[in-house]
Amino acid sequence: MTSTFDRPASSFLSWIRSDLRAALCFGYLVLLVLLSAAAPLITHYSPIEQTMDFLAPPGADHWLGTDDLGRDVFARVVYGTPMSLYASFLAVGVGLVIGLPFGMLAGYCGGWFDAVVSRMIDTLLSFPGIVLAVAVTGALGIGLTNAMIAVGIVFAPNIARLIRIQTIVVKNELYVEAAHSFGMPVWSIILRHIVPNAIQPIIVQVTLMLAGALLAEASLSFLGLGVQPPWPSWGQMLARGYTYMEIAPAQMYVPGLAILLTALAYNGLGESLRSRLDPTRLGRG
Amino acid sequence: MPVLRFLFWRAMQVIPVIFMATLAIFGLVQLVPGDPAATIAGEYATAENIEAIRQSLGLDRPAWEQYGTWLWNAVHGDLSNSLLTGLPVLDEVMRQLPSTLLIAVLALVIAILVGVPLGILAATRANSMLDRVVTGIASLGVAVPNFWLGMILVSIFAVGFGWFPTTGARPLTTDFWGALQHAVLPAATLATGGIAEITRQLRSSLIEVLQSQYVRTLRAKGLSPALILWKHGLRNASLTLLTVVGLVFNHTLGATVATEAVFAIPGAGSMIVNAAINKDFPIVQGAVFVLVMIVIAMNLIIDLLYTVLDPRVKKD
Amino acid sequence: MKENRACSTDMPIVTVENVTVRFPIGRTRTLTAVDSVTLSVRRGETFGLIGESGSGKSTLGRAVVCLQKPAEGNISHEGQDPYSMRPADLRRHRRQYQIIFQDPAAALDPRMTIIKSVREPLDAVGEGSVAERDALALEMMERAGLGPGFAKLYPHQLSGGQKQRACIARVLTLRPSLIVCDEAVAALDVSIQAEILNLLADLQHEFGLTYLFITHNIGVVEHISDTIAVMYLGQIIEIAPAEQLSQNYRHPYTEALLSAEPVALPSHLRPDRRIILEGELPSPMEPPSGCRFRTRCRYATTRCAAEMPALREIAPRHHAACHYAETFRDGQSPRAV
Repeated sequence: MTSTFDRPASSFLSWIRSDLRAALCFGYLVLLVLLSAAAPLITHYSPIEQTMDFLAPPGADHWLGTDDLGRDVFARVVYGTPMSLYASFLAVGVGLVIGLPFGMLAGYCGGWFDAVVSRMIDTLLSFPGIVLAVAVTGALGIGLTNAMIAVGIVFAPNIARLIRIQTIVVKNELYVEAAHSFGMPVWSIILRHIVPNAIQPIIVQVTLMLAGALLAEASLSFLGLGVQPPWPSWGQMLARGYTYMEIAPAQMYVPGLAILLTALAYNGLGESLRSRLDPTRLGRG
Repeated sequence: MPVLRFLFWRAMQVIPVIFMATLAIFGLVQLVPGDPAATIAGEYATAENIEAIRQSLGLDRPAWEQYGTWLWNAVHGDLSNSLLTGLPVLDEVMRQLPSTLLIAVLALVIAILVGVPLGILAATRANSMLDRVVTGIASLGVAVPNFWLGMILVSIFAVGFGWFPTTGARPLTTDFWGALQHAVLPAATLATGGIAEITRQLRSSLIEVLQSQYVRTLRAKGLSPALILWKHGLRNASLTLLTVVGLVFNHTLGATVATEAVFAIPGAGSMIVNAAINKDFPIVQGAVFVLVMIVIAMNLIIDLLYTVLDPRVKKD
Repeated sequence: MKENRACSTDMPIVTVENVTVRFPIGRTRTLTAVDSVTLSVRRGETFGLIGESGSGKSTLGRAVVCLQKPAEGNISHEGQDPYSMRPADLRRHRRQYQIIFQDPAAALDPRMTIIKSVREPLDAVGEGSVAERDALALEMMERAGLGPGFAKLYPHQLSGGQKQRACIARVLTLRPSLIVCDEAVAALDVSIQAEILNLLADLQHEFGLTYLFITHNIGVVEHISDTIAVMYLGQIIEIAPAEQLSQNYRHPYTEALLSAEPVALPSHLRPDRRIILEGELPSPMEPPSGCRFRTRCRYATTRCAAEMPALREIAPRHHAACHYAETFRDGQSPRAV
């Protein structure tokens, strides 16, 4: 039996082929990326151009109708895709950049540094998530990028906590002791041994956090703190659509479904990754 | 008594957390890019306006002094005044907090009342069709954007059937049933995430217990499955449940922010949002401060309950 | 070409002086794993260290290679004190003092190929190009009995014996002066044990290595060691050149260990009566007063409970820690000396 990291390309393909859920989720996400890149080719409507054709029902001309400012809903959904992808990845990226170093150093060094960082993690975790994100966004100034940075800050403690525990486990492994006996410097041990071995659960957590970031972006845009008009974001479209829900329900359902499906895809990928990366599968002999 | 001493010690550990939380809340203002006074003053302010604001907010004094003053005042119940309305922040927050707490607590209760039976159901029939359905719904519950669900519920139940009011809230003290009626839909919306979490966690920890060697031995001895479930299964799982409830409460309190927007409830959440948009920092800080204190208190209670219930934790 | 026979004129390669190693247990208690141990290992010899589990032998071995700092006492490597070196100097210095662990699977990073693991000590200092390091690693693997086909495999694809060979190859890349073999063959199949022991003996000849060989199996250590030290509950209770120990042991514990060694002879031809150690190993955290072995010793007297025997010289280079070391073998009641 070969390990997952043996020959990356071929084992990835075999994974996709064997796990239907993983294939579906991954395929869906690839579709989203293509949609983002090829948006102008898919719809000739501009997402921000206003017309006089308000709240038209779905039809041959406008596949999903128009919103209260006469903008084509389908176009807005399509153009909202890259926003959502950018948002999820930015938030998770910020979370990793802040959380990984702190967590790893805390786990590796132990002592007072670990105690202080652990207290900081506990503190940040006492802030209800969205509340903290809203507060930080308010301070930084509203807008998509700032909002996602705020969400990243909210994610960081969880990531730090996770990698800290993994680091502590790996730090005590025999092969790390062996590396010490060879006279390997600490930073090299961290890079060569600790990171590759501690990172596994983080990978799964990342996919779940992508879903969380997506939902957070939707919430924040819904509240007016994220993507600012006139640019579309699925969350923002929901906000507008809500006011007209009785007249034009399509506006409310489509962006909501988009968020739901994408979150499910991230989650599904995470679950599949989790069972795939399960250490008992590696079959250490 | 060692238990009391342990509880006391555990309670003391909260203090550095509270301290750091206040530091973080205070530090929010430091995050503002550029000059906070100018930002607060707005686009059309003159240099004198900005200077006046800077002085009145004490932004010209060194940071630690500002923090000290702020903390001192906070401890005495003075969370400064709103920049927009000029009214004391604490009063404002206290005025709007009950609505938030009502739906949060109600949501938690619903989540427990629905989540626990579902979790038990799924665990006792593990891997059956029913279990798969329940797990599937739980997965859905985590992925659904709360406010969207709220909107759908409103359109079906409030607008469609007219069972519940669409928006607003009633103060609990003056109009009990009215308050509840207004709170049901928002609470139901909020509860979905909690139901999903509780169902999943309870199911997995119950399955672990029910499939353990220990329980299988009891089964072989002929004990009835129901008794096993009740005595051993739930007792072991109740500790996990307690932890999950703490987490769910934390999430729920945060999620009220968006839910309040959907249902137009004037609660603490929408207060923070509006203040954030309008750069009314004292309100943001004050409201966040109050919410964080509530969460810390709740977590402490859960921690203490946990230690009391779990015999292993008391040692060492 | 290094000398490969024990040379008594050089400074010992490792000197352990009154070393004590303690571990905190919980918040209040301490475990003294190694209690005031003194010994020295000469260049080129194989120094056997035997004891049951809990005797502290592994801890001592790790202290010698700077993986466990002593609470008291000194360890010196050819006169230098590694524990007082600056970290950068220590990192360079300790490469000469290596260890092979009992569990080869745990000692290899499961996510690294064999060649990367074997090459790791060379990568640590980054000398030479990667190709040069690869070549050296492959050469050491060859010496340790692993062909180049093993290079790209992962640890879980190798057998126990093969993994241990990889660990040996890894250590060899450093051309160390001393290798501590901490129960290096205990976890392997019996047939493989012999192979690895032979490999270690060959390598000693070829590379002029010095071994500190830690084991609980007296049969193994008797045949390969030049000097043997016996440990019990953190203390050395006897230390002597190998032939002296097996013929002229002077401590009841050593007697029991030797008698327990399986001998392929019918019972009436076996030299000694089999001595079964009675009782259980006392807890290392609360060792018996006086002589620690007294609770299981057939010859114990009241003096043994009252007074801890010192490790004293019975014969040249032969020390034992027993009040009755000179006389207990006479088969009659021990007489005080």
